[in-house]
Amino acid sequence: MSTIPAQRKPNDYKSDLKPIWCPGCGDFGVLASLYRAFAELDLDPTNTVVVSGIGCSSRLPGFVTTYGVHTLHGRPLPVAMGVKLANPELTVVAVGGDGDGFAIGAGHFPHAARRNIDVTYLVMDNEIYGLTKGQASPTSLTDQKAPTTPWGNLETPLNTLAFAIASNASFVARGASFNTKSLTELIVQAIEHKGFSYIDALSPCVMFNNKQEAWKELVTDVEPDHNPADRVAAFDLALRGGFKLGILYRQLRPTLDEKYAALIERTPESDIGAMMESFSARKGTAIGKPIV
Amino acid sequence: MCKGGELARQSVVIRLAGESGEGVISSGDILTQAAARGGYWTQTFRTYPAEIRGGPCMYQVRMGQDRIYSHGKEVDLLVCFNQEAWDLHWDSLAADGVILYDETAVEIPAEFRDRARPVRMEKLAKEIGGSSRAKNMVAVGAVCGVLAFDTTPIEELVMRRYAHKAGVADANIAALQAGRDETADLKGSKEIAHPAEVEEDRVLMSGNQAIALGAVAAGLDYFAGYPITPASDILEWLSAKLPATGGITIQCEDEIASLASVVGASYAGAKAATATSGPGLSLMSELIGYAGMAEIPCVIIDAQRGGPSTGLPTKTEQSDLQHALYGGHGEAPRVVIAPVSVEDCFWATVDAFNYAERFQVPVIVLTDQGLATRMEVIPAPDLSKVEQWQRKTAKDVEGRAKRYELTDDGISPMGLPGEPNGQYVATGIEHDEWGHPVYTPEFHVSMQQKRWRKLDPLANGAARHERYGEAEPDIAVIGFGSTYGPVREAIDMALAEGLSVGAFYPRILGPFPVDNVRAFTAKASRVIVPEINFTGQLARLVRGEVGISVDSRAKCDGLPFTAEDIHEMITEAVR
Repeated sequence: MSTIPAQRKPNDYKSDLKPIWCPGCGDFGVLASLYRAFAELDLDPTNTVVVSGIGCSSRLPGFVTTYGVHTLHGRPLPVAMGVKLANPELTVVAVGGDGDGFAIGAGHFPHAARRNIDVTYLVMDNEIYGLTKGQASPTSLTDQKAPTTPWGNLETPLNTLAFAIASNASFVARGASFNTKSLTELIVQAIEHKGFSYIDALSPCVMFNNKQEAWKELVTDVEPDHNPADRVAAFDLALRGGFKLGILYRQLRPTLDEKYAALIERTPESDIGAMMESFSARKGTAIGKPIV
Repeated sequence: MCKGGELARQSVVIRLAGESGEGVISSGDILTQAAARGGYWTQTFRTYPAEIRGGPCMYQVRMGQDRIYSHGKEVDLLVCFNQEAWDLHWDSLAADGVILYDETAVEIPAEFRDRARPVRMEKLAKEIGGSSRAKNMVAVGAVCGVLAFDTTPIEELVMRRYAHKAGVADANIAALQAGRDETADLKGSKEIAHPAEVEEDRVLMSGNQAIALGAVAAGLDYFAGYPITPASDILEWLSAKLPATGGITIQCEDEIASLASVVGASYAGAKAATATSGPGLSLMSELIGYAGMAEIPCVIIDAQRGGPSTGLPTKTEQSDLQHALYGGHGEAPRVVIAPVSVEDCFWATVDAFNYAERFQVPVIVLTDQGLATRMEVIPAPDLSKVEQWQRKTAKDVEGRAKRYELTDDGISPMGLPGEPNGQYVATGIEHDEWGHPVYTPEFHVSMQQKRWRKLDPLANGAARHERYGEAEPDIAVIGFGSTYGPVREAIDMALAEGLSVGAFYPRILGPFPVDNVRAFTAKASRVIVPEINFTGQLARLVRGEVGISVDSRAKCDGLPFTAEDIHEMITEAVR
């Protein structure tokens, strides 16, 4: 917990737009936690960008006063990478749902993680497609009934926490919309973490997959003696499941923008004039592969 | 342009052919660079198989004392590395064309033997260098002998390239000289006029390299791409060079991520671009629509190749035109530019960034395999003429900026993160002036009008188009992109024959310059539209946009047109 008194209040991050979510939706709890985390960090809204995909939860950027990008279905992570690399001074938070992030967008997740882009990725996981009215998602349970699985889901759900650790995400945590205090703290730590931070936030869909009461029964905190620096222990915890809330894994390694900054720093400066000169017909050397 | 024997004196067409991986491409590169160093204008064309090693490949170099616009048709000097090379290329030989061949690998029919010379490529390479690796230098040496071409520039190049490996450099130079001696009796039989001494600054580069340089000149900050033939070397070149300007180049996991990250970088204020070929453009379609809807500047280079699907990855085609213009669901504005030459690849890319920034739209630059990979000597672009247009941001706005404000020119202030009055949510959902989701008929109509209105200046004359020959000809040729070179040479031939002929090359195809085309064709009895695709996409575009009838001369053999092909079309049109 930050000891410096925050100047901004959670309400300062609340935009004029009213969330479109159904009453009781878990995403309200996630949004409230995000407001509080932003306030605790006293983030400057003009230097903060919230990026999302498509889905109920991906409407979130409209409800905050920061800059926002409501991208395409499944694409918040590469867009967030571009934002961060173009201006590393910005705080970049990507948000979305489990379908957005782990079905259509799953191809981007391991790359964001292994590149260690300095972006916080907050997934509101309701184990269902809410916006399109209740179809099965990649995190839906086996045998779960949904409009697209009327005889029960034949598939095995994706373990996103294990996926994140296997992909070399440098911060992996789980929170829950109905536990805003701990979720706020997780978001604060994720944003403060230099590198790719993934939070799986259980966020029940009250319309199509209301597991709020069941999840409240199931969740427990990660044991205090768990060492988040121990990747094998983190993987073990992720594979065992059991709805552990807290930080499973945390590692410090240089972020992609830091590595690029270092590369630019050690590369001798050049300009278009010198580059053009290297193609000079009379004395050029630029034929074939560029010489580094 | 000259014909027949006269052409042979002023320019020479050399074709090297063999198995991919045995030095054909490197021989062609060396010859091209040596010719450029020697003061010749050059242009090249190559075909190669999609596989890394194996399969037939070909490299054609045309060099001469005057500016060259196409790769030439009849081959003056054919170098065969293997039997297949002879089988595939013998019928391209000029009537007096000379053949050089590896004596151990190729059987030349009796009727060609008087103008064929065996060259001990493999044998000499092994004797000198201990392996067949220097075969290419033997071949290059043999070519130099026939052309009476001074090998000094090549020796300089070899010394430079192998500066750190003295033994290798020596072996290469020995192989070069041995090759030259092999053709001693043909020495100078294809001698070309020595180029005049000029002070003019010239550069030798490919279309892809001209694009990469154009992007840097335009102020490129961020480039992302995914490897794909024939666009990869833009990504490779910028990976090596962009950090020196403080920019970032990143290889993404796919083309979707490439354009998505470009959109993100541009949202944050960077000048951003990606490069791809047809399959990648297909994957990017949804994001092109997004960039059009959210009004985020970005530049997409499409080096077209043979399609559909995986198609002919290493062959040329102009079949993405309609996709570039209309691809994607809904109707999203974009600008489509087609550079007509390697030189124009540089300027078209500069234009692309400027249009993207000013009009806040995606801009697609259409080249093709032929233009992207051919090496050409061009006048060095005058960098003092490069303009860098900047986008309109929230900086000069008093109070809170309306991101999608309905303005007369359609251009609204784009708040950049960091600007205190510009916060908004970029979105692909239909929206009001603040960017808030709205689905009313009024806003969809007014926002569609606003987004498309931005392009009006480009349709109405702000754009530079390419013209050649008569301005209002009897026989009108309309094409786009890489076919310009052979068309230009064909028009020279036809004008010399007294025909009334001219060409119009819209450099901007979207929005289409309807008025310009109408004026150009006003007095035409025939309008010919040559293009490299199956269905005649440009012909359909001209018919649809201008409402005139045209003769579609589309072909899809994966090869560029020659000047002779176009000349024949013009001649047929007269009959």
